[in-house]
Amino acid sequence: MKTCTKCGAPEVIIEKKHSGQRLCQDCFIQGTQQKVLKDIRKYKLIDKGDKVLMALSGGKDSVMVLDILNSLYERNIIEMTAVTIDEGIKGYREDGVRIAEDHAKRLGIEHNLVTFKDSFDTTLDDIMTSSSQRGACTYCGVFRRWILNREARDVGATKIATGHNLDDETQAILMNYLEGNIENLTRIGPKTVSRSEKFTVKIKPLREIPEKEVALYVLARELEVHFAGCPYSQESFRGEVGQFIKQLSQNHPTIMYSTLRGFDKLKPVIKKEFTKEFNMGKCTRCGEPSAHELCRACIFCIEINE
Amino acid sequence: MKFTLIIGDEQETRDFPDETTIKRVLEDMDFPLETVVVKKNGQIVLEEEIIADGDVIEVIKVIYGG
Ligand SMILES: [Zn+2]
Ligand SMILES: [Zn+2]
Repeated sequence: MKTCTKCGAPEVIIEKKHSGQRLCQDCFIQGTQQKVLKDIRKYKLIDKGDKVLMALSGGKDSVMVLDILNSLYERNIIEMTAVTIDEGIKGYREDGVRIAEDHAKRLGIEHNLVTFKDSFDTTLDDIMTSSSQRGACTYCGVFRRWILNREARDVGATKIATGHNLDDETQAILMNYLEGNIENLTRIGPKTVSRSEKFTVKIKPLREIPEKEVALYVLARELEVHFAGCPYSQESFRGEVGQFIKQLSQNHPTIMYSTLRGFDKLKPVIKKEFTKEFNMGKCTRCGEPSAHELCRACIFCIEINE
Repeated sequence: MKFTLIIGDEQETRDFPDETTIKRVLEDMDFPLETVVVKKNGQIVLEEEIIADGDVIEVIKVIYGG
């Protein structure tokens, strides 16, 4: 009979193929929390006194980060606030918004809801049904980043925490590599520090946690989350790459870890060779930091209105 | 051996030979194992878990798309 390799309990909920470890529910929860807190220290993601803005979608990843960062918040090590971005995806976003609000309320954390509609006077659905020239994820990514940065400044946050997990991160590495976007690779890492102080530092506490374990964690902790796929994600190249790595992982359970480790070793070299030097100015339309006259969000807004 | 299978909002009774594992049932339905977490009578279990008569098996799809 298979028992927990840590405590011997008979009810095992996970068998980690890459390490041979089998864990019961309690040992899995505890081990995962410790791993994430260890990574936070190792990569110096959070300093005492930081005000962390949690990008809280109500999905499993951000709810798990919130749950773990809450242990630091409860001990007064950090301040915490949350924001939920409503892209305007009908039939998909509503549940996430409600769940995000419930978690923030339960933990007594300040929470704001910011919509694409309020920020850009349009919704992702409207963009995609009218004359969209780009993929949904391109618009969404640029607009979300714009909102997150502005929100972070508005609430005085020193860090922005996102729910990116191991699957997301290896996907991003492989995708940018396959597309030849080497400059994008220079920005991938546990902590994204930008050249403009008007951009808040972004951190990814779940960067080394596989997506499946994130799901297992929120279920084991009985945290309410929104398990649903964005209706636009399947159309993307990112989605295809993601499925490819997940398939590979079936027979090669360490492949995501090795992709990440290998990339992290290469990163200093890539960064040295490929970081573009340019002056960060201000977007003349919205005032957000931009290397050009207009930021990407404003360029998209103008395109959409044409 | 009969058990109750819950997937999302759908619930049905399934009939399988004794000693059937959850894995076998999921493979039978072409359900990709890596995208789900399974509960047996409310407890999270491994896919190799053997289903007994009267069990309630809940399949939770946790990973979507890419
Ligand atoms: Zn244990
Ligand atoms: Zn702008």
